[in-house]
Amino acid sequence: MSENELLEEILKNLQAINTKLDRIVGKKESFSEPEKEDITDSLDIMTLLSLPDHLRTTATTLFEIGPATAEEVSKVTFKERAVESNYLNQLVRMEHVEKYREGRKVYFRIREK
Amino acid sequence: MTFTLAVHSSKGGTGKTSIAVNLAAAYAQDGKNVCLLDVDIRGPSLCSIFKPETQFWVNDLLSGKRGINDTIHDVSDEFGTEGKLFVGYSNPDINEIREIARKDRNWQSAALKNLISGKKELANKNIDIIIFDTSPGVEYESINAVAASDLVLIVHNSSAACDNCTDQLIQGIYSPLNKQCAIVDNMYHQNVLETPDEKKFGIDVVARIPCMCNVATRNREILTLTEPEHVFSKSIYTAKDKIDRSYR
Repeated sequence: MSENELLEEILKNLQAINTKLDRIVGKKESFSEPEKEDITDSLDIMTLLSLPDHLRTTATTLFEIGPATAEEVSKVTFKERAVESNYLNQLVRMEHVEKYREGRKVYFRIREK
Repeated sequence: MTFTLAVHSSKGGTGKTSIAVNLAAAYAQDGKNVCLLDVDIRGPSLCSIFKPETQFWVNDLLSGKRGINDTIHDVSDEFGTEGKLFVGYSNPDINEIREIARKDRNWQSAALKNLISGKKELANKNIDIIIFDTSPGVEYESINAVAASDLVLIVHNSSAACDNCTDQLIQGIYSPLNKQCAIVDNMYHQNVLETPDEKKFGIDVVARIPCMCNVATRNREILTLTEPEHVFSKSIYTAKDKIDRSYR
């Protein structure tokens, strides 16, 4: 086999590999999880009562003062800012609270449905 | 600073509305600006005492359709109180009550936010005292009102059922929400040999009101205004003074 024929054979094989890879990637995309349906309710008072003490205090404060930074919440609860930040982020992960940015500050508010 | 009381009880028929109305009138007569809100939206009561002419109701406030200023009505001139007395009524229309009964948790969550916003607006309006007349037991609207208040005034009577349920409310609702509580022992059957309790369930009793039929028969009157020397009225003024001394 001449050098040219060898290169053509390599190119043909690479194209075949490429086609197979495209097929695999395409299949993977079509198997990707459908978008998660939003089934979480807003935080109501009965759910709030079932939260552990520390999270309940944080969530109650957020209801009372409205959208706030971790520092603003910590001034009401008399806990460290970092502690409140941790609790607020736990409530975000539980989908009771949402987090958003305004300028350089990060705010938290009770999630609305 | 505005002080908010939720008048609540574990059971129905303990006299919450009478206590709430007369306490509101006592504060207004004392020169305070008062707002009394009927948050018992499944069993409205205030409309049968005040005969409101209103377009908007507490229902509209809770659902976010109207602000507090559209919802409350000044009745000070009608009752001749020293301070302002505003009242917000729940809609007694059965269709509206049925509609409220169908509301879900998302609506109740928004209702709590709207109630707290209304409270903040009342503070800006120089209201000194807000009183929520609530529904008994663990109804969403009443627990929202408890959450939005500074003090829960528990209206209690001495039945075994009321005792058990009040204890549960203290353990399961008021304490977890870190609420200050005071008790009015209403319809009390006096026993001369018995030393009255200063506390019940570890909570201060701010008034003990004897069981009197003529309080029930005069329930369309506001006794603290029409007969301040009545035993019932005096008990309400005592409760008011104790609340001011110990909780405000």
